[in-house]
Amino acid sequence: MKQRPMLTLEDCKQISAAAEAEAKRNSWNVCIAILDDGGHLLHLARMDGATPANARIAVEKGRTAAETRRSTANWQERVAKRIELLRMPEVTPVQGGVPIVFDGTCVGAVGVSGVQSHEDEQIAAAGIKALG
Amino acid sequence: MKRLLFAAVAATLTFGATAQQPAQPNPRDAVPDKMPNDIPYGPPISLARAQQAINAAVAESQKRGWKLNIAVYDSGANLVAFARMDGAQLGSVQIAEHKARAAVKYRRETKAFESGVQEGNLHYLLTLDDVIASRGGIPIVENGQMIGAVGCSGGTGSQDEVVCKAGADALMKR
Repeated sequence: MKQRPMLTLEDCKQISAAAEAEAKRNSWNVCIAILDDGGHLLHLARMDGATPANARIAVEKGRTAAETRRSTANWQERVAKRIELLRMPEVTPVQGGVPIVFDGTCVGAVGVSGVQSHEDEQIAAAGIKALG
Repeated sequence: MKRLLFAAVAATLTFGATAQQPAQPNPRDAVPDKMPNDIPYGPPISLARAQQAINAAVAESQKRGWKLNIAVYDSGANLVAFARMDGAQLGSVQIAEHKARAAVKYRRETKAFESGVQEGNLHYLLTLDDVIASRGGIPIVENGQMIGAVGCSGGTGSQDEVVCKAGADALMKR
């Protein structure tokens, strides 16, 4: 039987804390969502000042990255060239969702929403980096 | 013929009336003077305090060897923080969120809906918007104002409630 790695709650706390620290360093108020490889919510933190919409969007960016195993920045680029990709079901093609790859396997994703899209991605990447 | 039919109908009506029990007063007809559950909506709970509640709930759950999903909503019924413990069931992600949201929207523990439906036979409660008739959703009240709510799901209702209480109690004395 093939084994596959899985994110634990401790991993999620570590990712979320590092992402939050990156946001705080820049005085940004964002929402950070972590999802498993099935696109199901594992952990969420909406910083004070982030909007209700940020919570929804962070989850959707994360879901897209987790389920398609690609960053939402990649989706954004491809949609810019091929508008028909907007018809892909349940895809949010806006930068800020980054898959978490461990030992060559996608174990989930981080989705961030609250500031400019490239800054959202910067926060998500900082969170994933903390996993080591 | 016409007259005969009329007489038959009249007889049935009369019989129907006499067969009825003396009318019981309907408790839902009572008009109270005061608003029920009149807790003001306070400022939204901060992320730090929401995480404090989640950490307390997770600790209680771990102590008992349970695996639950825990959600915290703010006073505007919006998601603030969420944690899924290792191995907690997927269907309960949405249920934990629903319980916390319903506790905020209706300013009461979701157990009130469960009891209303089960013991009170108040089936109409299930027709109200965004209700969940299952215990494990508890409002967080601070200085007489509701700042948010905790919702737990993944075990039996009673297990969910124990963990939910641990989360809420970390933030308020009851």
